[in-house]
Amino acid sequence: MSSLRKLFDRIEPRFSEGGKWERWAPLYEMVDTIFYVPGTVTSVAPHVRDAVDMKRSMFTVIIALLPALIFGIYNTGYQVSPDAGFVQNMLTGGVAIVPLILVSYIVGGLWELLFAVVRRHEINEGFLVTGLLLPMTLPPDMPLWMVAMGISFGVVIGKEVTGGTGYNVFNPALVARAFIFFAYPGEMTGDHIWSLADELTAATPLAVVASAEGADAATLVSGAGYTARDMFLGLIPGSVGCTSTLAALLGAFVLIVSRIANWRIIAGGLAGLVASALLANLLAPASQNSMLSLSPFYHVIMGGFAFGLVFMATDPVSAAQTDTGRWIYGILIGVLCVMIRVLNQAFVEGIMLAILLGNAFAPMIDYFVLRRNIAKRQRAYAKQ
Amino acid sequence: MDVLRLKKGHDIALAGQPEKRLVSAGQPALLKIRPTSFRGIRPKLMVQLGDHVKTGSPLFYSKASPDMFVTAPGSGRIVRIVLGERRVINEIVIDLDKTESFEEFETFNEQSVAALAPERIKEQLLRSGLWPVIRQRPFSSVADPEKKPKAVFISAMPTAPFSPDMDYVLDQDASGFQTGLSILKRVTGAAVHLVAGKKSSSAVLAGAKDVVHHRFSGPHPAGNVGIHIHHIAPIRNRDDIVWYVSLQDVLRIGRLFLKGKLPVEKIVTVGGESVEKRHYIKIRQGMMLKDVLWGNHVEQNARLISGDVLTGLKSSPEDPLGFYHETVSVIPENSGRDFIGWLRPGLHKYSVTNLFLSRLVNNRGAHLDTRLNGSPRVIIPFGNIESVLPMNILPTFLIKMILARDIDEMEKLGIYECDPEDFALCAFADASKMEIAEIIREGLEYVEKNG
Repeated sequence: MSSLRKLFDRIEPRFSEGGKWERWAPLYEMVDTIFYVPGTVTSVAPHVRDAVDMKRSMFTVIIALLPALIFGIYNTGYQVSPDAGFVQNMLTGGVAIVPLILVSYIVGGLWELLFAVVRRHEINEGFLVTGLLLPMTLPPDMPLWMVAMGISFGVVIGKEVTGGTGYNVFNPALVARAFIFFAYPGEMTGDHIWSLADELTAATPLAVVASAEGADAATLVSGAGYTARDMFLGLIPGSVGCTSTLAALLGAFVLIVSRIANWRIIAGGLAGLVASALLANLLAPASQNSMLSLSPFYHVIMGGFAFGLVFMATDPVSAAQTDTGRWIYGILIGVLCVMIRVLNQAFVEGIMLAILLGNAFAPMIDYFVLRRNIAKRQRAYAKQ
Repeated sequence: MDVLRLKKGHDIALAGQPEKRLVSAGQPALLKIRPTSFRGIRPKLMVQLGDHVKTGSPLFYSKASPDMFVTAPGSGRIVRIVLGERRVINEIVIDLDKTESFEEFETFNEQSVAALAPERIKEQLLRSGLWPVIRQRPFSSVADPEKKPKAVFISAMPTAPFSPDMDYVLDQDASGFQTGLSILKRVTGAAVHLVAGKKSSSAVLAGAKDVVHHRFSGPHPAGNVGIHIHHIAPIRNRDDIVWYVSLQDVLRIGRLFLKGKLPVEKIVTVGGESVEKRHYIKIRQGMMLKDVLWGNHVEQNARLISGDVLTGLKSSPEDPLGFYHETVSVIPENSGRDFIGWLRPGLHKYSVTNLFLSRLVNNRGAHLDTRLNGSPRVIIPFGNIESVLPMNILPTFLIKMILARDIDEMEKLGIYECDPEDFALCAFADASKMEIAEIIREGLEYVEKNG
């Protein structure tokens, strides 16, 4: 047995019941089980258990987020000086983004620990994901204290007041982002926020389209210097991790293959977006609103739609929890995203609100799916 | 015949599959009977310490229906009656005679059975102590002789790990099978559903009369009666009763009427990584596990399970094989702690999820022992448990309603169709490490008591 294991075993009694640091048992449990999978054996049937656990599941989400994170760091540097080269851009981006992530993890982690200690439950691994998602959805030069405020609001109000992990109605990371968005709009909207360099202003492609009236969306976008290739790869201004559709696709691949995310939500979201964007295109000639003419493909590659749909709408707790419900929930988010982007010029980016609204509707969607399931069983009872 | 194909579920690839080789267990010295095995029977003792009993002599009766006896599976002297708290009878121990003596019951032949009055059949089953092989859903307790079931189910395709192959069991000795089926048909007047696996080639099964034939295919739990009932004659409410009998017990019912003696033998499998000889073995009801495993090397640090690894009881060598169990599983006990196990690629970690490399090679080389492999957490509905439950039941919501003790919603979500054994795989696959089978059991007990 290694010396680390011996150390853990030696201090364990102090954290168990009657020990000096009994209150801090969740902290011990967390650290102990990070290093060693618990040695608990089954006490009742089934006597054997699958190797899957919450740590592995949540860690898979982190893996899925890595392409978007690494690309986001690079792109943050790239937006400051496109010609600086890969290493320099990674350095510039890293210096800006690592502190955001650290603050999010540390401040949010302290809240998690506090609630775990007071409520006497274990620390849940879901926070690993929340703590990383928030900084990835923020502009790169966010003041750190705002990140701290945001993650505090997200963890406490978005999750803990409704009972903690597993009981939250809304995706905590999105609650945090929405809080920052509405509390500090100066740092979350406008053209000056997307670049680290203060003198640089850059409008996101969505903002470009929203800013002009009566023009063709595609012309506006290319007029601003954005190519479809850049937007697909993510070499455009935007929130740290949300610009690259390619990275979101890679993440979606990992999440769908591992079945951590339910493919129905993603498919439904895409279907809802494409259908409502096509409908908007039909209406475009009748209006001065340039956003109406934005094609479905551009909708997907612009802004945070791909990132939000893949990583945030699929949160299994705040999404619908039945298979039929997941389709409806996904479609709803796709439709709402286009509606907000096109019809509400105050919010050029619609995905955040679309997902939060989807979260709000999810329990109701499930309610109806459940009633239908009950009715279906009643019919089977009657038929025999 | 149409085959009902089920996709959801999983056949656990457990090392130590029993070989199709039948041996006979030696004569044991002691037999043990545990009244707690019979769910629904509150026992009232009919014997005293030192009494001599024959095979088929009553040991205790059910307080709820005094005609229902549980009888001795061997002849000998009662040498111990172990009482537990509040004088609950835990165990009755019989020291077996050298030569066996039997209680005599009336004999019939295949033709005369068909003309027997249902009341006469019932009486013989109750008095011989064979009645408790018939159980009922909902709640999986011993069948209530006063109530008429709407159907009887017999699964000829157990799919749980290491469970005996029924084609093979019937190949050994199928005597009494048709008589048993006819008796069940006669006594209930209801449909007797015989469910065989898609691959079954047994002529005895295919040629059975007085039954409705069905074929199911798919991974475990496709062979569980609960799944068959759900797809053929779903249970509507607590008074909508279905009986079920294990196929080997159908043979025993038939033999009781043909031979006039209580049949006490059955074939069970012995399997698992930690036992040397994995085979089929003919044993007597009430034998202790150490007698079943006599002459068979069991490794140190092994867990003995009466029953299969998904639903069985953790046991000691002195414990008898459970009344309804047809498998003895011996698997490695391990409480070792893997260093950062959740971070490893996991080529040797067994999983039904796609989160480990082992999935690429279909879990070959992966290994299962008694570890929980994680810490208990709250429900995060990833869909793991839904993927192994081939029923039109929404398990996550049902579990929530059970935890909330909401009887009305439990009933609407189909609690009466559920049984812990059908949810064992859910507990196996759950990332939150919840005891889902136990939660279902709690829910059923709560509904039974308060519904």
